[in-house]
Amino acid sequence: MTDFGSESGGRLKGVTIVKPIVYGNIARSFGKKREEDGHTHQWKVYLKPYYNEDMSIYVKKVHFKLHESYANPNRIVVKPPYEITETGWGEFEVVIKIYFNDQSERPVTCYHILKLFQSPVVDGELTSSTTMDTKKGLVSESYEEIVFQEPTQIMQHYLLLSDQSSIGLLNHDTDFEEKKRKTLDNIVNVKQKVKGEIVTLKDRLKLARETIVKFKAELAKVQKAST
Amino acid sequence: MSADVRDILDMERANTPEVTRDSFLATKKRNFERTKHASKRPEGMHREVFALLYTDKKDAPPLLPTDTALGIGAGYKQAKARLGMKKVRKWEWAPFSNPARNDAAVFHHWKRVSDDSSDYPFAKFNKQLEIPTYTMTEYNAHLRNNIQNWSKVQTDHLFDLARRFDLRFIVMADRWNRQQHGAKTVEDLKERYYEVVALLAKVKNQTSEKKTFVFDADHERRRKEQLEKLFKRTTQQVEEEQMLINEMKKIEARKKERERKTQDLQKLISQADQQNEHAANTPSTRKYEKKLHKKKVHHQPRPSKVDSVVNAIEIGSSGIKFADLRGSGVSLRSQKMKLPANIGQRKVKALEQAIQEFKVDPAPPPTEDICNSFNELRSDMVLLCELRTALTTCVYEMESLKHQYEAACPGKTLNIPPSLVPIKTEADRDQS
Repeated sequence: MTDFGSESGGRLKGVTIVKPIVYGNIARSFGKKREEDGHTHQWKVYLKPYYNEDMSIYVKKVHFKLHESYANPNRIVVKPPYEITETGWGEFEVVIKIYFNDQSERPVTCYHILKLFQSPVVDGELTSSTTMDTKKGLVSESYEEIVFQEPTQIMQHYLLLSDQSSIGLLNHDTDFEEKKRKTLDNIVNVKQKVKGEIVTLKDRLKLARETIVKFKAELAKVQKAST
Repeated sequence: MSADVRDILDMERANTPEVTRDSFLATKKRNFERTKHASKRPEGMHREVFALLYTDKKDAPPLLPTDTALGIGAGYKQAKARLGMKKVRKWEWAPFSNPARNDAAVFHHWKRVSDDSSDYPFAKFNKQLEIPTYTMTEYNAHLRNNIQNWSKVQTDHLFDLARRFDLRFIVMADRWNRQQHGAKTVEDLKERYYEVVALLAKVKNQTSEKKTFVFDADHERRRKEQLEKLFKRTTQQVEEEQMLINEMKKIEARKKERERKTQDLQKLISQADQQNEHAANTPSTRKYEKKLHKKKVHHQPRPSKVDSVVNAIEIGSSGIKFADLRGSGVSLRSQKMKLPANIGQRKVKALEQAIQEFKVDPAPPPTEDICNSFNELRSDMVLLCELRTALTTCVYEMESLKHQYEAACPGKTLNIPPSLVPIKTEADRDQS
């Protein structure tokens, strides 16, 4: 339908397309240690679009790299849903590498710490949002945005195509809209505070330096008098 | 003795069976084996020396290495030449005619009687070139007008020569009739020839069948001129050129050297700048500086270490410069929030503490807005930390001055401004 021809290698100046995604895992405990292998949890690590769209239009494959103790730890998923279900007993870092349909766009890599256990709640401690759902189990997922800066023409075509396939929001276990809003508010608040403190500190620093100069003069005077 | 006996037996045996090649060689071999056994090393003779004297064939050691000795036929040592087993074929002195000649001349050569192929085998090397022809009308229509002012007679002469000498233009130029047609160079001839050929091909619509050659006479003339010049350079000129080339190389080397030096200098300067910044932040360097000061210049007013920080703050160079992820390609938004690699460990630690102190999510969902404000916030935080350290240093200095003053004149004291006294960070935190 569209002839990309020789220009398909060229990049579109000034064009930026953003694709929000969500990646993470859900985990559910067996409630006991499994006899044969000592596994305690079933988990599913996944990558999905933030909006309800067909990612396979622009994603060629997704490579999940599991812990090396798993049989063939390099799992490749070529079509949605991009997810791996496994059982295990430990947490580890899953490397999620996303390859795009246009080979000239380099793949991007996300790192997700597979969560099996609810960690004690510490403010601003966790990389991803962890929620406990009695039905689903433990959910730990992160929001991310893939930024296509000056995509190739063919890549833009894929991206726009997948935009068209979009039908509203996907239901996520974590309310990212809320989280984004809260985080931004918090950052703006803290920034205000920090700025305020900087101003007072600057004033105090100025005063301190003046005092130091004064003290030095006094000291010099006294020392001169004593010699 | 026994050897002699066997020798005699061998001779006897040799008489009875017929001597074939194989049996001959085999007996010879046995002979060698025997002689090897027979010749013993005399007592007291070194093995090496004996080896020189007596090879197993009892021959003199070879003076020259031979490749035939190890070869299949054992070289010249073979008793008989190995010839083909075919019957001898006869040769005869026979007449032949060369089809390439058109004068039907008959020559003679030796040939095998059995070879009855009548063709002269070398006739196939007589390649005839196809030199295009033109009629008078064609000439008048298309070839008459040309820039070089070739006449019909000249062109005819050219094509005649081309046919006679198979387009060997050097020969053609040599045989060119100068008296009648004026002097022409090889380029002139080629130019005209290929021009005519191209024109004829165009007229006769042969372009698709045969490749037409385009002869760039100007280029060729210039090329030859250049070669001529190159060839006719004098020794002095060659030397001068070599000298100039060497000079140029020297100049370029010097230029590179200079560039390298300026780069090094630039690096040093920026490093020094960074170290200054660090010196204000790093207690270890500060301590070191202090020690130096204490040792050497205790009584002199020491330069305030906070100066550099304050300067940096005032200029606005403090804080973090985040990588600008411009350019094309795919990236994750969260990459924008990565701390640049040139930030020191100490700064990173301080930043982490500040982030915890103000209860900020260290990895917020990376939207563009959040990324930007998060980066700005962290840059401010670094500045804040630097200010705090600078203030602590100042207060420390004030107190040490105060103690010095008190020591110098007992009973009197200096008053530190009250706003600077409660320097406990806890108090600061409570205030903000």
